[in-house]
Amino acid sequence: MSTAIDLSLFTGTDPIFTIADEVFSAMIDGEPGLLTEWVGDVPVIADAMHAWVDVDGVAPGRVLLSTERDTALQITRALLAMEPDEQVGDADFVDALGEVANVVGGNVKALVPDPGALTLPQVTHERPPTSPENLLHELALAWRGRLLVISLWSLA
Amino acid sequence: MTLAAENFSFVADLVRRRSAIQLEAGKEYLVESRLLPLARTAGTVDVDAYIRSLRSVASPAALEAVVEALTTNETSWFRDAQPFATLTDHVVPELLGARGAAGPLRIWSAACSTGQEPYSIAMTLADLVPGGRLRILGTDLNQQVLARARTGRYSQLEVNRGLPVSMLVKHFTRAGVDWEVAAPLRSAISFAQHNLLDVPPAGGPFDVVFLRNVLIYFDLATKRDVLRRVQRVVRPGGYLLLGAAETTIGIDDDWERVTVGRGSVYRLNARRAA
Amino acid sequence: MRALVIDDSRTMRRIIVGVLRSMGFDTVEAGDGREALDVLETGIPVDLACIDWNMPVMNGLEFVLAVRENRAWRGVTLMMVTTESEHNQIVRALAAGAHEYVIKPFTPDAIRDKLQLLGLVELEESA
Repeated sequence: MSTAIDLSLFTGTDPIFTIADEVFSAMIDGEPGLLTEWVGDVPVIADAMHAWVDVDGVAPGRVLLSTERDTALQITRALLAMEPDEQVGDADFVDALGEVANVVGGNVKALVPDPGALTLPQVTHERPPTSPENLLHELALAWRGRLLVISLWSLA
Repeated sequence: MTLAAENFSFVADLVRRRSAIQLEAGKEYLVESRLLPLARTAGTVDVDAYIRSLRSVASPAALEAVVEALTTNETSWFRDAQPFATLTDHVVPELLGARGAAGPLRIWSAACSTGQEPYSIAMTLADLVPGGRLRILGTDLNQQVLARARTGRYSQLEVNRGLPVSMLVKHFTRAGVDWEVAAPLRSAISFAQHNLLDVPPAGGPFDVVFLRNVLIYFDLATKRDVLRRVQRVVRPGGYLLLGAAETTIGIDDDWERVTVGRGSVYRLNARRAA
Repeated sequence: MRALVIDDSRTMRRIIVGVLRSMGFDTVEAGDGREALDVLETGIPVDLACIDWNMPVMNGLEFVLAVRENRAWRGVTLMMVTTESEHNQIVRALAAGAHEYVIKPFTPDAIRDKLQLLGLVELEESA
């Protein structure tokens, strides 16, 4: 994913927000409006979960979703339309979060010229190693009031 | 918050009577989310309370607003499919045959909203009618939806709705996160604001008029009025396409019903002078 | 009617299965193209395959090509359900023989619309 993801081309709404909004409204919430841009200072995420996909090729990059573990659990519940008393298994949880990263990442990939292939999603408790100078874009979002951060990184 | 059964039934009955649209069990969430803005404007504490207030006393405008809120939706492409097949299989070949080389085919898509209908018409006819021989006019009362229609840009979610993928690849290009109708198709279409209760729009006389799922919102006298105005800009022998549950029978005698496949179209009697 | 749901994400399989079952389909699942071919090779009749693109072992495009090469499976409607949304990717899938294409994210209505287009589900009054 080259640095040629020229976000200045997109006047108006941040395309990453549009992508995230569509994923959440279509598959997680069933209606728009529950995902908004985060207002104010972005707190540090305690007990974080990270889910990401990489786009390989000429200019490789990473699409990373970061959120609190509890938020990730709620996203899983909503995505799988689980009953309130249903338990979320670890495997379900990892797979669901990975799939959200996969769908967001796949759509981000379509924004860049000549993208490579998408890797399988990874989900971890530890943040994957990143250098600040490689940060291309960061978007802090509020889902039902809870913090969700989507960040784009160059892996070149 | 779950909707009380009798409140859901009240709304479902109202919508069915006014629009022929069925809200079955399971669609309570739709009623709640669509009526919440109305409930808030009315100052009621929730949708249940709002519906209860409507059941005791409601102005025609309030009931109309409820129906409107539940029957506007993300418009899909090629809505109901049949009318578009009718266009290619029956209506357009007949019209082209009858008029030979005389001028372009003119089609009016009334109440076109965000434009899926006129673009669907254009895609349907792209191979059948040579470029430059087709003029499509899309009209709507609402300037905002028209502005959207003019851009020809639709989101990924919108192009997932009823658009055959072969049409997507043929007639759209990617534009950032969106999809955009390609230039050749767009050149055949213009958009204008128009009120159906007003003087008919310029751009006629029309060979075909799409007036789908619009008359259902009007009472009988208004339906007659709208159809009379439409008639003034339709060629003798021209066609009117209505929504699946609609008819001109009992409203306007100047149209002849023609059964095509599983549906009907209405042909302006050639005897009637334009 | 039976549908074969092919995706390496069990989450996505579960979502698609849920939508299809609500429309009256029986469903079978596979985690990649190779497993999906194994299902077809057992001989059970399959009317519809919902196919992810990016999967290990055998991806969705390879699966489509394999199905279209086998006359025995001519009756299987092939619908991609994938994040791959570049114009040329969609063209590739159609050239390989896919009949329809749903881009993720999708709503249940989007799946229903496509299945109506394909004649696999009855047309109902749009609401």
